[in-house]
Amino acid sequence: MTSATLATAVPARRGNGWVRSLALLIHWELLSMRIALPMVVAVQSVVGVGSVLAIGLWFDQVPPGAGLYVTTGGATMSLIIVGLVMGPQLIASQRMRGTYDFLWSLPTQRSAAAGAWVVVALVATAPALVATVAVGALVYDLDLSISPMVVPAVVLTAVTATMIGYALAHGVTNPTLVSMATQVLIFVVFGFSPILFPGRNLPGWIDSVHQWLPVASMADIVRASLTTGLVTDVGRAYVVVVTWLGLCAAIAAVVLTRRK
Amino acid sequence: MTGLPVAAGVERVAVTAPAAGPAWWLRSYRLLLRRDLIELRLQLVTILIIQIFMGAGMAVIYGFMLGDLPPIRTIYVATGAPVLALVPVGAVMLPGITAQRKAEGSQDFLWSLPVPHTASAAATCTAFTAAALPGAVLAMVAAGLRYDLDLSVSVLVVPAVLLGALVMSAIGYGIGHAVEDPQRTNLYTNLVIFGVLMFSPISFPIEQFPDWLASVHRVLPVYHVATIIRAGLTDGVVTDTAVSFAVVAAWTVAGWALAFRAIASRR
Repeated sequence: MTSATLATAVPARRGNGWVRSLALLIHWELLSMRIALPMVVAVQSVVGVGSVLAIGLWFDQVPPGAGLYVTTGGATMSLIIVGLVMGPQLIASQRMRGTYDFLWSLPTQRSAAAGAWVVVALVATAPALVATVAVGALVYDLDLSISPMVVPAVVLTAVTATMIGYALAHGVTNPTLVSMATQVLIFVVFGFSPILFPGRNLPGWIDSVHQWLPVASMADIVRASLTTGLVTDVGRAYVVVVTWLGLCAAIAAVVLTRRK
Repeated sequence: MTGLPVAAGVERVAVTAPAAGPAWWLRSYRLLLRRDLIELRLQLVTILIIQIFMGAGMAVIYGFMLGDLPPIRTIYVATGAPVLALVPVGAVMLPGITAQRKAEGSQDFLWSLPVPHTASAAATCTAFTAAALPGAVLAMVAAGLRYDLDLSVSVLVVPAVLLGALVMSAIGYGIGHAVEDPQRTNLYTNLVIFGVLMFSPISFPIEQFPDWLASVHRVLPVYHVATIIRAGLTDGVVTDTAVSFAVVAAWTVAGWALAFRAIASRR
């Protein structure tokens, strides 16, 4: 995939050009990640399935809700991790290798590059997602009612998490700082958000803060699409997630289109 | 060294001491230990932060995951904090720094110094053991405050924490030097962290574990480190403390053995 090929293949005009850019960039990203991708999929799966199984060790008798929470929450964690952690790490390593500047020099639209990354992120997470839910359902004998809403919920969560990661990675230029920030973020999201366990387990003020942060709402929309009757106020959760998506996409757009 | 002009204020180091024997070994050990401690001093804040996160942070998080806990379970979770704080320093940071030294070439420089290699190994292990202690204490205090516990601390906690830190350094040193590829070291240490946080009976009673996993953990050191530290912080909660001390001591020796074998078989 040379820039010459791309230059002749992508006329710089709207409509048809954008889709073609997207397709070519997805191809490019997948190719450039072809060695790392299996590793990423493996690690995601181990983390997702591992978390689901670990809960069984922590309880004497796993309470009925806990299995459901950790399975549906585990799925959300995979999506959040790939967007919030993998994305910035990839961008940081691209900066170091010079790939970052190369990508931006290509005659493709920047929004197409962002879109390509989102698609690749979804591809990278899908196996882990399925594995986590399947193993959880099996081990905890869960009665999941998977609705068609799972598609928009998963896609929306992935896109929003990716946009947040994008805003972080492009806004903060120091790769070490980005790496540290993402590690801390994952720790905080993992342990201090009502994703893997119900909000009532958290101190009141933390639970309240999560009404405005995106991660709890992401967990809610994914959980609602996999269960019935467990989540209240799904509509509000969708609004929160979409709002954060808009906010971070705007930040990313500003950061990406500014000239160095 | 005599007769050479020396700038004012520069300390003369006598090189007339014999380059052999226990006196030389001790001298080398002291100098190398000072070097390692100075290097670590720069990272002390990072180390403390990581230990607080993993120790007290995880103790708090386990509490959230589990919801309402009966008092005995709370004691388990809280007394697991210092153990979790010891793991990242010896078993993760030490191999990480060793891998970094190998990649930079500074490990080769250290090996080229005219000092016994065993003294170098002993100094590094001592330095990382010492570096792990403040964070472990801090994590314990933080967890105790969070869970508002009434612990019966006995003098046993001192050798327990020391030995716990020592075994982690020994294992970390062994991994760091036995694994050739620095990138692989990173993978192993990540696996260790994940395994320890998710699947080890540090903060939970081992009775809850399926038999096969419990058997694995009775062989591995982390459960025993948790037992001896818990024994030093509580009264009547744990049994078979002597067995655990023995297992931890055995693992410390095993870690050193692995490291020395790797050092001895160097090119």
